[in-house]
Amino acid sequence: MAWLHTWTGLLVGWLLLLIFMAGTASYYREEISRWMRPELPRNTVSNEVAAERAIAFLQHKAPQAESWNVTLPDPRNPAMRMFWRNPESMVKPPAEGEKRRRRGGGRFGDATVDPGTGEEVAARETRGGDFFYRLHFDLHYIPVYWARYLVGFCAMFMLVAIITGVITHKKIFKDFFTFRKDKGLRSWLDFHNVSAVMALPYHAMITYTGIVTLMFMYLPWGVNVAYPKDEDAFFSEAFARLADIDTPSEGRAAAVPIQQLLDAARAEWKGAQVGGFTLYHPGAANAVIDIQQRDGKRLSVDTPSLRFNAVTGALMEASPRSGGATQTRGVMYGLHLARFADWGLRALFFVSGLIGCVMVASGVVLWAVKERPKHAKSGKIGFGLRLVDALNIGAVAGLPIAFAAYFWGNRLLPVQMAERSDAEVNVFFYAWGAALLAAFLWPKRLMWAWQLYLGAAMFLLIPVINALTTHAHLGVTLRTGDWVLAGFDLMMLAFGAVLAYCALRMQRWQPALSAAEKKKRQVAAAAAAKAQESAPVEANA
Amino acid sequence: MDSTPDASWFSRFGSFFARPWLGVLSRSLAAIFGGYALAATCAMFFAVALPIARGQAVLTGMLVAIVLCACAALWAFATRTALRAWVGILIPTALFWVGTELLRAGA
Amino acid sequence: MMLLALTVSFSAFTALSLAMDKHQLDLHGKAPASPARMRRWRWLGWALLALSFALCVWDHGWAAGPVLWLGAMTVSGILIAFGLYPFRPRWIVPLAWALPVIGMAVALLAR
Repeated sequence: MAWLHTWTGLLVGWLLLLIFMAGTASYYREEISRWMRPELPRNTVSNEVAAERAIAFLQHKAPQAESWNVTLPDPRNPAMRMFWRNPESMVKPPAEGEKRRRRGGGRFGDATVDPGTGEEVAARETRGGDFFYRLHFDLHYIPVYWARYLVGFCAMFMLVAIITGVITHKKIFKDFFTFRKDKGLRSWLDFHNVSAVMALPYHAMITYTGIVTLMFMYLPWGVNVAYPKDEDAFFSEAFARLADIDTPSEGRAAAVPIQQLLDAARAEWKGAQVGGFTLYHPGAANAVIDIQQRDGKRLSVDTPSLRFNAVTGALMEASPRSGGATQTRGVMYGLHLARFADWGLRALFFVSGLIGCVMVASGVVLWAVKERPKHAKSGKIGFGLRLVDALNIGAVAGLPIAFAAYFWGNRLLPVQMAERSDAEVNVFFYAWGAALLAAFLWPKRLMWAWQLYLGAAMFLLIPVINALTTHAHLGVTLRTGDWVLAGFDLMMLAFGAVLAYCALRMQRWQPALSAAEKKKRQVAAAAAAKAQESAPVEANA
Repeated sequence: MDSTPDASWFSRFGSFFARPWLGVLSRSLAAIFGGYALAATCAMFFAVALPIARGQAVLTGMLVAIVLCACAALWAFATRTALRAWVGILIPTALFWVGTELLRAGA
Repeated sequence: MMLLALTVSFSAFTALSLAMDKHQLDLHGKAPASPARMRRWRWLGWALLALSFALCVWDHGWAAGPVLWLGAMTVSGILIAFGLYPFRPRWIVPLAWALPVIGMAVALLAR
């Protein structure tokens, strides 16, 4: 079991570190996106006003669409996202050589609108925190299908590593609080054990639920055998959705004001907030609106919705209660995304994620520390250990450099450049590639120290660069109480400080003296003391 | 020390397969591919066998299958020989598959 | 309320650690407490964990409550194991008394 734990952990540890770091960052993806678009104003209008402005924008921009979907602003995200689906007839084939849009080639449109002005947001083009979210399961530069299989494979390895880790850790209760510092291998093992055990429910949950979020892709055969001819029926049956809307009627009719519909929904839900809505066949006589509740006290990712007739304002139906398995899956998914978490709980999730990163990092480092004495006799480092050393440095010290570089890119790349969000992502990977290359060229302890120092410096300088390039720096945000932006800068300082401390320890580390060496030094010290005693006597003589 | 040519060829063949790294490779393949097959057939079987609504059965099958895959990996390395690893994974897989086919034919 | 739950689980873990020989030695050197005393620490520790659970569920409901409880234990456990026992063991017991009081004060003021 210990053997299985070592290898399931080591073989995928470096990729898992990327997944864990990006996933942990995703807990604050909205906040990161806000920091990366400092031009966005803070939201001050009410949801009703925001909804009205959304409808006005859509009536202007997409009057012929089959459906409009709007996500209202919430405390974490001040801008409104909207999607619309154009009818088949409107789709134009892409021109010769023109890049095909990612989403269905012209069938769909989207916009991000500032609820304060009702206009499209004029902020720098960036993927923001969504890059980290996508990175942790879609990876990058490879087809999404392969990436998700690879991530699922790693997740399965991790699940086995967690179970075997618990089985192997015989003194799990006795050593619950045990961390003996400054004892080399013993300390690394204690560190790995404590970081794993203290957040064990989290690690097991996040790994299992992660696989659950993509289980339709990994295990499609259940659907195939139970719904041989009609897979779509599975989704509509299992997910208790309101029925699909049929074709629009010929007649036109004005819809009831959106404010009235949102008020009706809130009354029906006894106060719960509206997260967003989808309006089908806007302007038609049979227009229908589905209003979705905002994530809140429920763990499940499936929030209830209400369907109203948009022309009369009458309540048509509520989303039905789902079956036990659907609710279970919803809770699993919800636990993974943690959308329900308020600021306090979110902070706890984030800390647990960081502990997970530290657990994986200490695991791969621990392997190298354990392996090194076996090579001491021959004096030469074997291929396997050298490879692990290089990957360790490149991942554990190199990834923070990449994360910091992404934020540097956001502030330093020209605001108006073309393909800006792709460029920012490339900066992330160039930085990581450089760190990995340097690590492979010289996988020594000093390389650890240099890369950790570089990461520390890059993080510590982020608030400085922020101050030099924008008006959303600490001097302003602390004064106005904008805790999202101020908090981001402060976290960068905190990360920088921690990395600097690690770098310092790496630089100052002395190998433990062997018993023979200790004795030699004792003898030399005794001889020197003796020489000191006799010297004054000689001088006096 | 048998002098017949066939026997010595056979014993060399056998001792090659006794090498430890092949046992590890065999168990690893059983854990990864056998485990995935077990999960797949488990999901299929639960989807048609559970006496609850179809959609719910399918979802339940998937949720359980993930756990079963992890168990298969543990079994592959905990059991005494690599052969037992394969047998212990492939037999339930076959049973699930046969059960699914029977239930589908009967439906 | 979250702070109170966190501080109570901190005290709970302190009590549970005092119920172990190893940490008695960390704190008191050669003169650890008697087995009876350690049993009392263990009971107190588990009782405080239950209290922390109750506080979490009372404030956040049965859905988010248990999740919060697990997170509170993670943070206080890490604080004790990585921060206090290796570096400032003398601070542990005073903090275990003081922190829940602070947590209570914050919870009452926030109401």
